[in-house]
Amino acid sequence: MDLTETADEAAFRQEARNWLANHVPTEPLPSFDTEAGFQRHREWEQLLYEGRWSAVSWPEEYGGRGADYIKWLIFEEEYYRSNAPGRVNQNGIFLLGPTIMEVGTEEQKHRFLPAMASSEIIWAQAWSEPNAGSDLAAIGSRATRDGDDWVLSGQKIWASRAVWADWCFGIFRTDPESSRHRGLTFILCPLDLPGVTVRPIAQLDGDTGFAEIFFDEARVPFENALGETGGGWQVAMKTASFERGVSLRSPARFSAAADRLLALWHERADPSDTALADRVTQAWMDAEGYRLHTYRTVTHMLDGHRIGAEASMNKIFWSELDVRIHELALEILGPDAESLDGPEARWLDGFLFSLSGPIYAGTNEIQRNIIADRVLELPRGT
Amino acid sequence: MRFSFTDDQLMLADVVRNLLTKRFPAGELRATWDDGTGHSPQLWDSLGGVGVLGMLLPESAGGMNLTMADAVLVFEQLGYAAAPGPVLETIAVAAPALVGTSSSELASELAAGSTLATTAIDGGRYVAHVPAASVVLMPDGVLRDFDVEPVEGIDGGRRLARVSGGALTPINYDTTAAYDRGAVATAAYLLGVSQRMIDIATAYAREREQFGKPIGSFQAVKHLLADALLQLEFARPVVYSAAWYVAVDDVDVVRRVSMAKCRASDAAYQISRITMQVLGAIGYTWEADLHMWMKKAWALQRAYGDSTHHRRRVSAATLGSRYPDGASRIA
Repeated sequence: MDLTETADEAAFRQEARNWLANHVPTEPLPSFDTEAGFQRHREWEQLLYEGRWSAVSWPEEYGGRGADYIKWLIFEEEYYRSNAPGRVNQNGIFLLGPTIMEVGTEEQKHRFLPAMASSEIIWAQAWSEPNAGSDLAAIGSRATRDGDDWVLSGQKIWASRAVWADWCFGIFRTDPESSRHRGLTFILCPLDLPGVTVRPIAQLDGDTGFAEIFFDEARVPFENALGETGGGWQVAMKTASFERGVSLRSPARFSAAADRLLALWHERADPSDTALADRVTQAWMDAEGYRLHTYRTVTHMLDGHRIGAEASMNKIFWSELDVRIHELALEILGPDAESLDGPEARWLDGFLFSLSGPIYAGTNEIQRNIIADRVLELPRGT
Repeated sequence: MRFSFTDDQLMLADVVRNLLTKRFPAGELRATWDDGTGHSPQLWDSLGGVGVLGMLLPESAGGMNLTMADAVLVFEQLGYAAAPGPVLETIAVAAPALVGTSSSELASELAAGSTLATTAIDGGRYVAHVPAASVVLMPDGVLRDFDVEPVEGIDGGRRLARVSGGALTPINYDTTAAYDRGAVATAAYLLGVSQRMIDIATAYAREREQFGKPIGSFQAVKHLLADALLQLEFARPVVYSAAWYVAVDDVDVVRRVSMAKCRASDAAYQISRITMQVLGAIGYTWEADLHMWMKKAWALQRAYGDSTHHRRRVSAATLGSRYPDGASRIA
């Protein structure tokens, strides 16, 4: 065990810090869930790509730096500390990208990964359906083989970033006789295709961050299937473990939020209220606990191990932590907390967003089922 | 940056785990409760035999010259077995405190197992583990030949007493460092206690049937146990890293130790509540083994500072001078 950075890691941190200090926009960008904001965030991603910071953990041939997980965490810490914009292409770079690297063909890697790293193509996730939410295996959208094409029909919902994204990835039932987890295939589909209709859904904050996607005999080439035909569930679970595990929500995001909470306490809180101060400290400790937990997890991965169902524990921890940090901030702001303008707005916006955490990427109740079934090996429910 | 244990560290923990599993099953623990001693001489001999009693001492004092980072997994295994007697007090606190003092020969006796030491440095009114321990490490010296008035305590593996009189041999040692070693070793021990409670409750939930099914198949029970595991797994890295901060004597060591004790204490308490609930009425009995680990958790959650005390220490270190009485809380 050695929790100090190596000279190489420290140099990498300094390089990232310098680049970010020179490039992060001084004014926050508009929300990426608005048309103008989406475009500004795409431009930011392109700037990151030109500096080779958009996908640091990817191999160099696809636009990354081949950084190991420790360096990736270091980059994330510098990124969030610098107040850089949110990652509009996170569905691609952090979820689909690693999945393509693991199960994609060479042709798919070269076709999709560089354009993903540069955000020439921004990705939306299209998994849930009106009748397949927590019960994701109830998927009814179909893909039928016709010559060299898949013909897609059905409806997806809660597709993040789909309103302005270029492509989506989803799972479709390719064996009409199948049920549940079998007979599904993971398919990549452009969103501007004839037969594809996107209908925006306003979120809790009023922005259209997700959408419904209707497929009406939309045709994509057979080569757009990722992984084996009929093996879509297994591919999706790999993506999900990236999502719940370390890649979607690095600890840096919460460490930065906890640091901002400490600053807010100094600026606005009554210091004689030690009960409040101790809860602020607890939130900071929890963020630090998640950071330590992640460093331990990635060291384990660097030693050649994989993380499986344990990833569900991360997802519960960070999503509940994020809510707590924002609740405390609103408590410190007191009656000013309701303002959606001015310096307080970031906390209220963040609070609204934090409330989605315990729901998306599999509700925390589903995560608890996974932990109980697959880590504690309790008997399956009926 | 590398957050993992070495093969040697893992192997030592395995040796201790195997020893405790073979020589100190729950029945032996129960015997130390029933006979009123809260101590097992056989266990003490076994621990001395593998060098654990003096593991933090230099070789010149009969020790293994290990650091807290090497030892943290051993303390966890002692907790998994709810090892009774002054294991934490002797191994983590008193023996290393004596090295380099005028009482350094006592450290070798502790390592050999011929003398047992306990401590009275965390502000409590009662002293744990007497009369099993014949010497008490005080903030200003070593106390011997004292009078003992037994007091009933919650944990049968940790007998309490009022201690009076006696002869104090003054010594100078780093009391803050000793306290911090006690806190982090106790935190590690609580990880083991927590893991054992989860194992007991999980095994029960797989076996016990109601409504014609194992109760572990019901979501209400699954979610309780998932939350228990979550508490434990997010306490582990905080405790393990704190042991490393102690080992390298980092400038941030006080805060890191307090984070560890705070989280391990809170986790152990919450896990005791959850696991007792899963066992239902059985969990409320003297007969079921669970109570020996729950009571260990309830005693140790407050030993070497409870979570409120340690959270305030972290507040003082993190929030600085604006936090009331910040400086005095860290010392």
